[in-house]
Amino acid sequence: MSAPPVVVIQETSKIYQQGEINVIALDRVSLTIRGGEFLSLMGPSGSGKSTLLHIVAGVDRPTSGECCVRGIDLKRLNESELADWRNQNVGFVFQAFNLIPVLTAYENVELPLLLTRLRGKARRTQVNTALELVGLADRRNHLPRQLSGGQEQRVAIARALVTDPPLMVADEPTGNLDSQSAHDVLTILQALSRSAGKTVILVTHDPKAAAFGTRTVHLEKGQLLN
Amino acid sequence: MTIASFITKNALRNKRRALLCVLSVAVSLFLLVTLQVALREVTLPPEDVGAALRVVVRNKISISSPLPARQRAVIERIPGVEAVSPFSFFGGKYRNEESMSFAQFAMDPKLLRKIFGEAKMPENQYAAFEADQTACILGKVTADKYRLKVGDRVPLTSTLYPCSIELKIAGIYEGTIDDRNLLFHHKYLDEAGGSPGWVAMWWVKVRSVEEMPRVTEAINRAFASSSAEVRAETERAFQLSFVAMWGNIKIMVHSICTVVVFTLVLVTASTMSMAIRERFRELAVLKALGYRRRELFAFILAESFGLAALGAIIGIGTAWTLFTHASIAKLTQGIFLTFEVTPRIIGQAALVAASLGIIASLAPSIAVARMSVVEGLKTLD
Ligand SMILES: Nc1ncnc2c1ncn2[C@@H]1O[C@H](COP(=O)(O)OP(=O)(O)O)[C@@H](O)[C@H]1O
Ligand SMILES: [Mg+2]
Repeated sequence: MSAPPVVVIQETSKIYQQGEINVIALDRVSLTIRGGEFLSLMGPSGSGKSTLLHIVAGVDRPTSGECCVRGIDLKRLNESELADWRNQNVGFVFQAFNLIPVLTAYENVELPLLLTRLRGKARRTQVNTALELVGLADRRNHLPRQLSGGQEQRVAIARALVTDPPLMVADEPTGNLDSQSAHDVLTILQALSRSAGKTVILVTHDPKAAAFGTRTVHLEKGQLLN
Repeated sequence: MTIASFITKNALRNKRRALLCVLSVAVSLFLLVTLQVALREVTLPPEDVGAALRVVVRNKISISSPLPARQRAVIERIPGVEAVSPFSFFGGKYRNEESMSFAQFAMDPKLLRKIFGEAKMPENQYAAFEADQTACILGKVTADKYRLKVGDRVPLTSTLYPCSIELKIAGIYEGTIDDRNLLFHHKYLDEAGGSPGWVAMWWVKVRSVEEMPRVTEAINRAFASSSAEVRAETERAFQLSFVAMWGNIKIMVHSICTVVVFTLVLVTASTMSMAIRERFRELAVLKALGYRRRELFAFILAESFGLAALGAIIGIGTAWTLFTHASIAKLTQGIFLTFEVTPRIIGQAALVAASLGIIASLAPSIAVARMSVVEGLKTLD
């Protein structure tokens, strides 16, 4: 492995306090993910997969430990800096697609670009390229409810990659999909890591899905298994 | 897509709810403007030029105590006084009506133009009024209301004097601040069984505004130690003493307005809270995509403000159009003469709408600020 590390997690813990009890969602996890890697994160429900993903993606903060992404210690960023950082560095794909129902496929993909300086033709080109990459250019004017689940998830992937972020995170993106759609989605993610050099983290508990990755790690009760 | 179109699409997501919210703002602001305009109309002292030159002289003890007719000659001799007319409220009920629906005053027709110069009436009607002691003139508003015209007879039964009279309309005037009253010969009142030798008030026309203070002072002094002491004051001051009676109504109208505004705050605030709560997860997604709090605040504020503004435009606009173009005298059967939607009232209503927009966005904004992405993503649709 010669590629530089993109994500470096060291002794990261996340503890939720529920009254008297401490729920340890992550227990001193250390992990390094390199550029272009497609990491599959597996583990039973409640093992801390989403928590780990959220910390790496900068939407949650660890109780203790380090999380550096592309050399930036996320701890040092305040709320609004972190928001900017997410916009430029992270593409999110969720299990529930989470498209905005009143916006067309095109507008949903455009959404992250409203925060950038990109205007006019450049913006249109970028949105159309993203939609073409997921094979939905002809559906750009459809509303989410006019699309199948698989198509919705592909629009969500287009939205995640439209800002050309180095890091893509996907939390059980195939959980709500039939096997064909799941296959399509995973193929796109794989292509993104292989040919676009993006670092992809895929949370799944399906071994077949995990097999699309270049490496698989297992979490159990908040701890990383070797 | 622009930010503005995104906000519009969000606001129109639940069209029925948005419409109901806009309508409730519109209706409430219409009511608010109407109440304010009516209140202003009711408490507005007359501001015409004539009023500035008129002095009202009444009994110092009470407005219902009469004044002796011989005072007239004394007042007429005071320098600066141009004309003096008796002015007695007849308190008559028209035909078989239960209550008084317009006021009638007995006065001196010869001095009509001198004292009440703002009344507009054809020359021949002035002459006819002066010539016939049983004649009267009637304001256009009342004439229209009862479809009365020149030559018609007006039977009146007094609630103050033990008499009934029948007057013939010699003219119909307009152009005064209150085109509702009926005026007739004081001589006729005396002869028909009023109280000869007594009048209710004197209306005095003064030559110039500069002489007003001196003349009122002189009139007050002239009867200072007589059996009928008087109180002379400008017509405006006289009207204002009536306005003071409206104080309670003012308080009442203000309380109604307060309740309306308060209800409106509840309606818009709950509409916005509902609208945002439904979109909690989407707002969390926007946060994940890199939207900062201030951008989400702006979305919420713009949506809330937009709904309130739209309601305000409809409500205030309707009030303005209606009161500017429709005949209020007709609509209210002569209770109100004009409804003027002043810039001040429009400003107040707009301010209410603006505050509404801001207040309604507060609770949702706070909720969105507090929400973490992780927590927001967990909320179900
Ligand atoms: N807000 C919270 N409060 C308390 N416990 C939480 C909270 N969020 C997650 N947890 C707990 O943390 C653990 C890991 O959760 P999660 O990362 O969502 O697991 P996974 O995604 O692997 O199913 C679970 O035991 C869960 O109950
Ligand atoms: Mg999970």
